[in-house]
Amino acid sequence: QEVDMNAQAEGIRTVFSDPTNFNVKVPLSLDATHRTHAPQYQHPLYSAWTLWFDSPATKGRNLPQTPVSSFPQTPMLQTPSAAAAQGWMEDIKRVISFNSVEEFWGLYNHIVPPSQLPQKANYYLFKEGIIPAWEDDANKNGGKWSIQLPKEKNRSNVDKMWLYTMLAAIGETFDPYLTSGESPEPNLQSLITGVIVSTRPQFYRLSIWTRLAPAGDEDKLRERIETVGRHFKANVLGYAESQKLAGPLATEVEFLSHKDSEKKGKAKKIIV
Amino acid sequence: GPLDINAAKRDMSTPPLSALATARNIERLQDIEYPEGVRSPREDLNKDAKDGKFRYDRDFLMQFMQICKEKPPHLPPLDILGIEPVDQSTFSSMTRTSSGRHR
Repeated sequence: QEVDMNAQAEGIRTVFSDPTNFNVKVPLSLDATHRTHAPQYQHPLYSAWTLWFDSPATKGRNLPQTPVSSFPQTPMLQTPSAAAAQGWMEDIKRVISFNSVEEFWGLYNHIVPPSQLPQKANYYLFKEGIIPAWEDDANKNGGKWSIQLPKEKNRSNVDKMWLYTMLAAIGETFDPYLTSGESPEPNLQSLITGVIVSTRPQFYRLSIWTRLAPAGDEDKLRERIETVGRHFKANVLGYAESQKLAGPLATEVEFLSHKDSEKKGKAKKIIV
Repeated sequence: GPLDINAAKRDMSTPPLSALATARNIERLQDIEYPEGVRSPREDLNKDAKDGKFRYDRDFLMQFMQICKEKPPHLPPLDILGIEPVDQSTFSSMTRTSSGRHR
């Protein structure tokens, strides 16, 4: 393994060592002419992530950084589902991609929190290379955990809930099956593909999209999906595990496969 | 060692190079010595970590909130994307019934 001699000699510096000037090594003399440059180290994320946004105001805007440029058009357009995905993605704008803890916070500190978004707006935070559409290969067999929260009661909570949801996503701690140390396959792929916050006239919705959704007899997968849901409810959103959440404009933390969502009929939901 | 307050105050006259633009990725979390008062990432989350792929707990991540304030150089102007904060006081008069686009 390659050893970074410079890092060994100088000590590895992170943003905590020198927040304002942390890539420049300053000797004790304070003499600027004696400065030597030492690299600064950042904390890489498990996966790179892309933030997307849409609202009524983004409709019809044609920007340089729209999904169109990042979307594999030619092969996708050959199927009806690809055409549907492209229609869905048309108004969803790519905001930025990042792959370190430090970059995430730089973005967080310069973007509008959900409580201040206009109505009918959505942030989609997805792993790089996965578009926030059912039709993406990573999503097509999956589903989502979601909770709907009445706006009036939750305007002061929603920003923290969304932040904690994003942190669990980028920290890659949403899938306790992979973090408990009991996983039979240590490098099994995470179930999570992305997280979404939606603002509507009377409520907020938070969602976690998964790669897979259990069919009737897949007990192992069902248990793993339910563990994600319980973690979301208790550790991320901060509710008691047994707490009842449904009410006017409010839902429980519930799971629905994308295939069942598409049917728009009465589908069986998993509730935690 | 402890957080170097003097280093943070030093040389405010010339803006530093973008630190993130020149930063390298940490390859081994064990190599990092955090200043006093800063928590390390939870070790149990990274027992099998390899290829510089790490998991981070929320308490660890939250410590960066007040420190990493550099605007990402590639962040487009938010108003161009339609990301514009609304005045909260106008909410009550805007209540509508439509639920908007949804999946």
